[in-house]
Amino acid sequence: MIMNHFMIKKFNGLDDATTQRLHSLGLQVGSDVTAVRFYPFHGPVIIQVDHQKIGIRYRVFQQLTGGDVS
Amino acid sequence: MTTVALLGNPNTGKTTLFNELTDKYAYVGNWTGVTVEKKVGQIRHSNTEVIDLPGVYSLSPITKDESVVTNYLLRDSPDLILNVTNASQLKRNLLLSIEVLELGVPVIITLNMIDDLKRSGHYYDLKTLSTELGCPVRTSNARNKEGLPQLKADLVQNQADIKPNSPLQLNYPIMVSQAIRQATKALTTDYQVDAKFARWLAIQYINDNKVVRKYAVAHHLKPLLSQQAYYDAQKFSDQIFETRLSFIEATLATATEQLHSTKHVAITSKIDKVVTNPILGLPIFAGIFFLMFKLSFDWVGTPLSHQLDKLLSGPISTWANQFLTQVGALPMLRSLIVNGLIAGVGGVLTFIPQIFTLFACISILEDSGYMARAALVTDRIMEMIGLNGKAFIPLIIGFGCNVTGIMAARTIEQPKERLITTLISPFMSCSARLPIYSLFVAALFPRNQAVIVLSLYFLGIVVALLMAKFYHVIFRAKEHSVFIVELPQYHIPKLSIVWHGTWDKGKGFIKKAGTIIFAGTVLIWLLSNFNAHGYVTQIDHSFAASLGQILLPIFKPIGITTWQPISALLTGVLAKEVISSSMMVLFHTANQGALIGMIGGSFTALSAYALLVFVLLYIPCFATIGTIKSETGSAKWAAYSVVSSLFISYGLAFLIFQIGSLLT
Repeated sequence: MIMNHFMIKKFNGLDDATTQRLHSLGLQVGSDVTAVRFYPFHGPVIIQVDHQKIGIRYRVFQQLTGGDVS
Repeated sequence: MTTVALLGNPNTGKTTLFNELTDKYAYVGNWTGVTVEKKVGQIRHSNTEVIDLPGVYSLSPITKDESVVTNYLLRDSPDLILNVTNASQLKRNLLLSIEVLELGVPVIITLNMIDDLKRSGHYYDLKTLSTELGCPVRTSNARNKEGLPQLKADLVQNQADIKPNSPLQLNYPIMVSQAIRQATKALTTDYQVDAKFARWLAIQYINDNKVVRKYAVAHHLKPLLSQQAYYDAQKFSDQIFETRLSFIEATLATATEQLHSTKHVAITSKIDKVVTNPILGLPIFAGIFFLMFKLSFDWVGTPLSHQLDKLLSGPISTWANQFLTQVGALPMLRSLIVNGLIAGVGGVLTFIPQIFTLFACISILEDSGYMARAALVTDRIMEMIGLNGKAFIPLIIGFGCNVTGIMAARTIEQPKERLITTLISPFMSCSARLPIYSLFVAALFPRNQAVIVLSLYFLGIVVALLMAKFYHVIFRAKEHSVFIVELPQYHIPKLSIVWHGTWDKGKGFIKKAGTIIFAGTVLIWLLSNFNAHGYVTQIDHSFAASLGQILLPIFKPIGITTWQPISALLTGVLAKEVISSSMMVLFHTANQGALIGMIGGSFTALSAYALLVFVLLYIPCFATIGTIKSETGSAKWAAYSVVSSLFISYGLAFLIFQIGSLLT
């Protein structure tokens, strides 16, 4: 089963522009994130935060939720 | 004259609000230095001018068009800022509002799309918001014209009557406040900067705003420059962000009211389940496009075009001819008007129904919120060629016009990705190429019109993607793509908004018909009716014919056997629409039916397809070449684009014709 509730753990390792844009969308460490949809072949991930849906890349998603970058 | 600037996040309905508040554009210009459209409108019966700024997430710009807003605030000072926010996304919208409120210019905040908020079961106490933020707060729903009279009344004030706002003062952490205070003081005493502006500059500078940092360098603001390393080492920008966010959370917590909950959000989720489905997403995307083309070329656009053509080439042409004969006009003038202008310009105008149907479809997709989903479902493919899904949107807009497509590439964050997108944009089959496709498919593929046209569009996409991959390897673009797209709520497209969007995109076509196509037609008429010895009655002896004849050997290998299409292709560099009007003049016909017959006679299905491929990919029009030059800031890229596209188009047309000839 895929767990789809996450908490943002860190912004470290992301480039400045990505961090800044995520901040502007109201995301911060500790934000609750629901992964709504994963695209195949490590395609983008749709996440839901504060009643808004945002598409991000898989790599960014992994980094935010503390997973290792593969 | 009172100047009001509209400022807000993307997807807040800002442009709709602008269109509803102002009855017409006073003018559309460009921002200095960049070619982002600057729209200025006027509120009816008033002295208030409204400026529509591009949508931004924050005043610290990442992309080129976002920097327009910051530069505007640095250089001009509007009398009033109307901050348009998305009521259901207030938390992040207020991040921008705070930056604007700190400037100390009078601000009115409107919670737009207020109905979406109500449906989600929340509401905000406006008084609380207004006290906390220190500015008037209104609600509106631009789509249903709700709350607009109130906003208009707010905006239609004399300059002198606008109440000044004192800048918003947040409690930044001690170290940050101290830094702000010191910098502000030094700027006001040593550099005579206005105190409010100095404070805003200091905050923005500390917050690592790239444009403001450049501004500080340009103006030698030493108090800021000398402290830069300290600000950055202490991570003040993170602290500023956290302070702002907690202020917003506290404010919203006190202002939130609960309403009886309803189930609107469920609709968006349901649609999204289908259109962003991991497996079905792409086929649906292709299906929507197929439908768009069917509508434009088979069901609605083409039948209307035929009616218009009948009218122009029948009654109007005959009437003009008779009238000119009666008043005793010179045969030469009669030929210019009837065979040149009515046939040429009129011939292009008959494509208005098809082009407008296509634009209407694109506008519906934009207004409904589907475009962001399209970016998402195409991202994985775009990632393979080193771009991201966002580059797909400029490419789709390029179907309308390459110039606007290239301009839309400004929303792409990385310079190299932007350059690649700019370079591949001309391969997208713009609407100006449609008339010529329509002629040829009507002549040689009457049964499969939509399929043939669609195949050309797809070929354009494939060539564009292959070239993108090629550039990606050549440029060694290693930097990671920033790909973050907001998926807005779906909206049922509104007729007035779709019409506005269609007209905005399509009016350029009509304008061109009156200017460059008109000029091109006259030029072609001159070339085809004169030679070195003067007026000729036989077109075969004209300038156009000899020019075409000279180039004929070069074009033989791609299947062109007569000189007329070659001369027409040459004029196509002026504007692609001119090709078909040139054909009309060069083949000496006055109506589409006769021209289609002529084309059917001098082409085979194979040579026609090779020619269409050539038309699809060859040299971009003047306007596009100019835009490439201004967007990349170098004439070299523009020249490169001309040469490379000529090479690619010839190569591909050559392959298609030669291999096709072997097979048949």
